[in-house]
This record gives sequence, C-alpha cells and structure tokens, in this order.
Amino acid sequence: MSSSPIARSAGPVPASIPSSGSRLNALRYRAKVALNGPTTFIGLLLAGLFTYLIVMPVLSILFDAVRVQFGDERRLKASAGDFTTYYLERAFTSRVARDLFWGPLANTLTVAASAIALAMIIGGLLAWLLSRTDMFGRRWFATALIVPYMLPAWTFALAWTTLFKNRTVGGQPGWLEAMGLTPPDWLAYGRLPITIILALHYSPFVILLFGNALRRFDSQLEDSARILGANRLTVARQIILPLMQPALLSAMVLIFAKCLGEFGVAYVLGLPVDFDVLATSLYRSISSRQSGVAAVLAGSIMLIGVITLMIDARLLKEARRFVTIGSKGSMSRLSPLGILRWPATVFAALMFAFSVGLPLLTLALSTVMRQPGNFAPANFTLDYWIGRDLNTVAMKSGVLFTPDLWQAAWNSLSIVGVASVTSGVLGLLVGYVVARTPVRPLAAFLRQVTFMPYLVPGIAFAAAYLSLFAVPRGPIPALYGTAAILMLALIADQMPYASRAGVAAMMQLGKDPEEAAQIAGAGWFRRLIAIVIPIQKGALTTGILLPFISGIKGLSLFVVLAVPGTDVLTTYSLRLIDYHYTQAANAVVLIIAAISYFGTLAGQKLTKSNLAQGLGN
Amino acid sequence: MPRINLRGVAKNYGVAGANAVSGLDLEIGDGEFMCLLGPSGCGKTTTLRMIAGLENLSAGEIQVGARMVDSVGAGIFVPPEKREMGLVFQSYALWPHLTIERNTDFGLRLRKVPKAEREERVQRVMSTLGIEKYRDRYPSQLSGGQQQRVALARMLAVNPEVLLLDEPLSNLDAALRLEMRAELKRLHREFKTTIVFVTHDQWEAMTLATTIAVMSEGHLQQVGTPNDIYDRPANRFVAQFVGNPPINILELGDTPTPVAASAGQWLTAFSGGLAEAGSVGIRPEALKVTTGTAPEGAFSGKAEVTGILPTGGSWIVELTVPGGKLFQTTHEMPAIEQGETVSFWVEPRALHVFNKAGNRSATADQALRPARRH
Repeated sequence: MSSSPIARSAGPVPASIPSSGSRLNALRYRAKVALNGPTTFIGLLLAGLFTYLIVMPVLSILFDAVRVQFGDERRLKASAGDFTTYYLERAFTSRVARDLFWGPLANTLTVAASAIALAMIIGGLLAWLLSRTDMFGRRWFATALIVPYMLPAWTFALAWTTLFKNRTVGGQPGWLEAMGLTPPDWLAYGRLPITIILALHYSPFVILLFGNALRRFDSQLEDSARILGANRLTVARQIILPLMQPALLSAMVLIFAKCLGEFGVAYVLGLPVDFDVLATSLYRSISSRQSGVAAVLAGSIMLIGVITLMIDARLLKEARRFVTIGSKGSMSRLSPLGILRWPATVFAALMFAFSVGLPLLTLALSTVMRQPGNFAPANFTLDYWIGRDLNTVAMKSGVLFTPDLWQAAWNSLSIVGVASVTSGVLGLLVGYVVARTPVRPLAAFLRQVTFMPYLVPGIAFAAAYLSLFAVPRGPIPALYGTAAILMLALIADQMPYASRAGVAAMMQLGKDPEEAAQIAGAGWFRRLIAIVIPIQKGALTTGILLPFISGIKGLSLFVVLAVPGTDVLTTYSLRLIDYHYTQAANAVVLIIAAISYFGTLAGQKLTKSNLAQGLGN
Repeated sequence: MPRINLRGVAKNYGVAGANAVSGLDLEIGDGEFMCLLGPSGCGKTTTLRMIAGLENLSAGEIQVGARMVDSVGAGIFVPPEKREMGLVFQSYALWPHLTIERNTDFGLRLRKVPKAEREERVQRVMSTLGIEKYRDRYPSQLSGGQQQRVALARMLAVNPEVLLLDEPLSNLDAALRLEMRAELKRLHREFKTTIVFVTHDQWEAMTLATTIAVMSEGHLQQVGTPNDIYDRPANRFVAQFVGNPPINILELGDTPTPVAASAGQWLTAFSGGLAEAGSVGIRPEALKVTTGTAPEGAFSGKAEVTGILPTGGSWIVELTVPGGKLFQTTHEMPAIEQGETVSFWVEPRALHVFNKAGNRSATADQALRPARRH
C-alpha cells in the first residue's frame, strides 16, 4: 500500500471561481438546506404571530402616549392621532402630576424596597433554618412555608380587611371594629399592610432561591476557610455571603418586578385612603377613560421594568465571576442550634401562622358569620355558601348556587385553559425552531420577542392590549369585551415562561435523538410525532400546567380587559368586594386559593417538577 | 469505484477566516474501515456530519457511490433522511420513550418492510449483538455498553452501505472499549459495510482502521495505512500526534541545543549535508541505550539517566542530554541505574527528518532508508 502524504500549509479555501452561474447554484444549495423540512417556515409564521401579539400592542401604547386620543380633540384643539406632548406634560409636570405619577412612583418604590428588605430578613432566616440547621420539623416547614406563594396575594389583603377594616369605609366593619376596638387608618389601610402582605407573599421566593443556593453550596469551600483558621462569622461574611450574592440578587429583582405590577393588594388596601401605586394609578386612568395618560403610565412601568432587568443582567454578569464549578462536596452538614432549637421552631411556626394559617382561617370564618367579630353560635351560618332565598338585594342565594359564580368559574377554566395549552404548544414550537433552524437571526428574534412580555408588568400589558384591540383595525374586529382578547393577552403574557421552558427542553434534548431518526430515514413530520413530542411530553405538561395555575389566580391582566360578560373568578370576586358582598367575595377567593393550591400540588405530583423551576410564573 | 468521495469540501461556521474544514479531498473505498483521526476541534466530526448531511457545506462536493449528495457548485443537496446511511452518535442518542425493539426496528418500519421480514432482521441483528434479552426494556434501563450495542443494532438493522461512527467508544470504560473494538472489527468483516469512524484515540484508530486520515485544524494531514502513518509520518504534526510517549524532536534551527547540533553534524557527515533539514524526530522505542559504546555509523551521544518509570511490562527511561531530555521506551528491564551516564544511539533509518516547513524530507529518506526497504 502506498502512502499519500498530503501536507498542507494553512491557507484560504480553494473556493470555486465565483462566476455568476456557480454563485446562483451556491444560493440554490443554501436554499435547499434551509428549506429541508418546514422548520424555518414555521419559525417565520411564529415570528409574524408574535410581532402581532407582542410587539404591536407595546408599540401601539407607546404611540398612544404622544398622540391625541379620541375624545380629547376639543380640549387639545387638534384632531385625533396628531402628535402631542399633552399627556406627557400632564403625567410628569402638570399640577396633577403628583397625584398621577410622582406620588404613586414614590409609593411603589418605597413599598417595594421595604417589602424586599422585610422578605429578605424573614425569608433569608427561614431559608437558613430550613437548609442548614437542625431545627425541628424542617421537612414539613419546607413545604408549609412555600404555601403563601401558591395563593393569590390579595387573599391576604382580604383577610387583612376582614380583621382591621374600620369606620373610614362603609359596608361590613372588620372584626376589631365590630368588637369595639377601632383600628387606626395607618394600620387598617395603605402603606403598612401593603408592605407586610407583599413581604409575606414574596418571602417564599427568598426561601426557594436562597435555600437552593445554600443547599448546593460546596461545603469544601467552607471547610478550607475553617482549616485556615477562619471562625464561623468570618466564613459566613467572607465566603458564604459573597457566593450567595447571585441568588439573593435574583430573588430581589424578581420581587421588585412582581411588586411593580402588583395590583390586587394595593387596590383592596390602598383605595380607602387614596394610597396609589403605579399599577392602581394606571387602573384609575384606564377606568376614567384617560387613555393618553394611561399610555404614559404604562410606558413608564415598562421602562422601569426594562431598567430593572438590565440592572439585574448587569449584576448577575458581575456575580457570575464567582460561580464555582460544581464539585462533589455538596452541603450535607447541619449546624446544631443547641438551646435555640425551640425558639427557632417557634419562629418558623409563627411565620406559618401569620402568612398562611391566620389569613385563611379569618377568611374561612368570615364566610360563615353574619356579623363580623361576633362569635356567638347563633351568628354562624352556611347561607353565604349554600343559602337560598336570602333577604338581600342582589345575592339571593349562597355563592355556590349563584349562576354568576359558575359562569365565572367556567370562564376562568376555559379562557385560562385555552391560553395555557396554546402558549405551551407555541413555546415548544419556539424551542424547536430556536434549536433547529439554520437561520440564526430568526432564532434570535424569536427568543427576544417572546421574552419581551417579561419586561412588561401584566397591567401595563393589558393596557397595551386595550390600546391595540379596543377598536377595529384592518381585518381584526374590535375585541374589547370578548373572551378572545383575554386569551390573546394571556397567551402573550405567558410566552416568556412557555418559550423559556420550550427552548430549555429542546436544548436539553439536544439534536442527537432527532438526527438519529433523520439518518434512519424519518422526514420532518414523522420526527415531530414519533420522536420529539413523545420525549417532550413531560416538559409540555409542565409548560401548560404552571401557566394555567398562575393564570387562574392572576388578576392584573383581567381587571383591565374583562367585562361582566367575561368575568373570571378573580374579577368576579373583585366586583363582589366593590359591592360590599364581603362574605361572598371571601368565599370566591377561598375557592380560587383552593384551586391554585391543589392545582400546584397536583402539577408537581404529575410532572415531578419542582416549584422552584416555575418561579416567576 | 470509491464509495465516498469528498472534493474540495470546506465548512465555515460564519467566523471570519476560521474554517472548521478546509479544502478537504478524500476518497473512501468500498468496504474500507476509514478512521478520521485528530485532536478535538480538528474538524473530523464536522466532516462526518457533512457526509451524513447533518451539516451543510460551505464549498465543495460529496459523492456517495454514483450519487452526488452535496454540491455547492451544482446546487445539489440530498437531505440526511434520503441518504440511506447509518450513524452512531457519541451519545448513542437512543430514543428514551421507545423500547429496545422499537428503537431497533424504527428504520425498518419507516421503510415499510413487511412484518415477517422485519422481525427476522431485527432478531438477527439483535442476536448478533447479544441484546435480544433486553428487547422489551427501555434505554434508561441499560448500561452504557448495552446502549452502545443498541445504537449499533438500530443502524445495522437497515443494512446501510455506509456506516458512520462518531467516537462511539469514548463513553465506555477501558475493558468494554476493548471488547467493543473487537466487536466492531468483527461486524465490519461480517456486514462488509463501508465504515467511517471518528476518533481522537490513536490506539483505536491503529487497531481498527484499514486506512487512517489524520486531520488537524481543518486540514487533512496524511492518509495511509496505520503502519504508514506511524512509520512514515508525513509531517511533524502527524509524527507528534501518533505515538505514546510522543516522538522526541530535535530542533536544528538557528540556535540548536548541543544534542540537536550533534544530530545536525551527524546528518551532514552521513549524507553530505541536508540543507533543508529543520528538525529530527526519534521514536522512543528507536532509541537504544547501552553502558558500553554505541555501534559505528549510528547517531549517538552521551546521556545521564534521570528517571526510570515502570509502566507494567515496559519501561520509560528519561535521559538528560546536553540541552534537553530524550525519552526511551523498552520492553526489557533496563540494566542501568538512575544517575548513571550511558551512551544512546539510533539506527540511521529510524531517524525522521523534517524540512524547515515541518514536512517529511524525501531527500533524507533516500539517504537514510536504502531503496531496497519497503
């Protein structure tokens, strides 16, 4: 046999001479490669769809902020659609700017900051107790202390008013007031209760994120410092905390983003004392038909959201320098608490009582009591649940016999269900295209466009939908008042999570199994049906179930877009609150809480997923 | 007629100036067991994936049998699912939701092979690979070696004329790897398939291949039989990449070390001057050591023994020479002591002389290796 030594020096590829014919053929070659299978075609369809569902509404509301709105022509002496800075001036510099924007902004920022600080202290302490100490009942608490996150935040707001509502507001008084102790306004409404409730509601974020990081912490890093002579405090300050920074930061940013869009709590507790945050101020502008100002406010909320996430990305990039490569020395050693073991357990139990037990018990009791705060046996009744022919103006029967409830429940299930299934499937398709298309810019565009709603708090997004779909545009009829607008907005709102889940699942799957099928001779459709979807069954279920649960308890999207005909459970209960049907409203909220809680549990069982993965939904 | 023919194949991932594969011309004969050998990132897996159609070309063409499957110049592209090849992935890529049997008959079902024949073929390939008893299990219930066999069975079931293997043994432990190597060689004989095998493991390439193609940084370095590659490396890269411990290289440049200078002087004396010589390579097993005097005519010198490393059945001896170190391997227990001064020598025909560009010097081969030698 002869050898053929071919030694080449590095050099340019001997490309064929680029005559026009061969250039055309090279293009034909590329086109054939790109169009092998409909991946790219589907990607283009998706890109079009998301441009319409996500980019257009956002652009539309941004334009609304600087265009004369319908109905304002006479006041502004210009025709609708003309350029104007009137709304910007009104929101930022006029005499009412303080009430419209600056006051609510300050309130939002201070409430968020205090809620974050409080959540950090409570959640951080609990995370440490749960993951690194020998406190009693850690397993039980590990689940129990996460429960607040599974319940809608304004459940707690309602429980609070049930207890502390005073004579400032009409309707049924709170328990304390009924017992003759009038709580002061600062305790009953506004800043203090909102801050406490948000802190309690979001401390599970800290417990989950910080706790996970603590558990994954490599104990060898700590041991090395101890061997070199560092005491426990030094180790905590110089080794553990700096390494925990990314987890703490992401918990903080997540809570801030959530507080920014939080509507229900501030609506229930802020309204009586005119304590506005940005979300409620936006809601007021929408409900008083000031769509220009609403556009400015929604734009501002989006801007703050974008800035927050940019800061987050920057900080995380900084912090990532510390990320150590995972090693085998996982954290398994627990610090003995000694004499503090009991006080620590009592602390955890108290936190559970305040954040879950007390509010739920209060709400539950309130639905079976005629007079608040009166614990005489005669005062208890099941009428508010299952009564018939009651002597009230509108609620003639218990809530379970009210057709409106079942209509709202059906709306909730159908609207959220359709939206979740659709966004789950779209998410998997986005993942597929991102992972497979040879056209890289298309993949990048799809990733970015589906991430966009993440930057936009729900209520601002709802305002954007209102701006785009309230009137007929081209072939699309006016969608306001239909279930379709709710579904579309919900799909778009859920896309960040759905596409993230889809992309992660497809990336984790890798190309190999599908390429193996391709080599074996399977065409595109066959591969999708026989290989990709069966393998991704679990991911798809999670991708549908988690958004479904968060959609059921969601309020801020619906409160702007729903009308009585398309009421879902959350908006229905809000309407009952507005009409002062306290017991019925609380009953509906309990139903939502139960669906949300058992849904989450069932979801985790069914998909063997961890709640921490669904964080942020 | 060659089974697979690559002409001027290049692949660029869009990074300016960085070709994953450049101007590759390669013929793979019918029934050949061809190994693409090279360090990671040399473009060997890219080449394999281009043959399979999973990666598109930036330039050039690929022909399989009489059929053109890729041609940038003529605008021809045959998608992977129409190429009728087999490919075993490094990760095996078994379908986790299908049983072993369904994994194996997937390709046959696609081809609508009648049930009786399908079952017979699946049965045959499964028993050949010894996996019938796992028929109803799922991939996650099998060990790495068993999964590997299923991955092979899946591809062999459709009896492809070309079987591509992408580092299929790298995830196995040493004992299994040896077993699977023998198995692959047996399968090659039995199924008479043309096999293209990608590896960075020179032993794997040496033991399995009928032909080896060595690649580096996207360029083909040498194509030849395993013996060719080892005995007549085409350039310094091939010489240094193949062989363990690696070949000793003496640089003859402007400021050579004393030992390299003496090698240069010896070359001049032996062949009357080799102006083009840039470096000299000596395989560790070609280096001889003696406490007596070196034979006449061989390149020789003095060295101090600075290390004797037993490797089980053979030894690596570290020799310190003026200006550097040389490594020797021997299968006989060295009769020398650490710290001892010894003589080393090399037969003229065991020297590999490379020119200043690093390519094998043909002139030197004529001078050092008499023509009667193969």
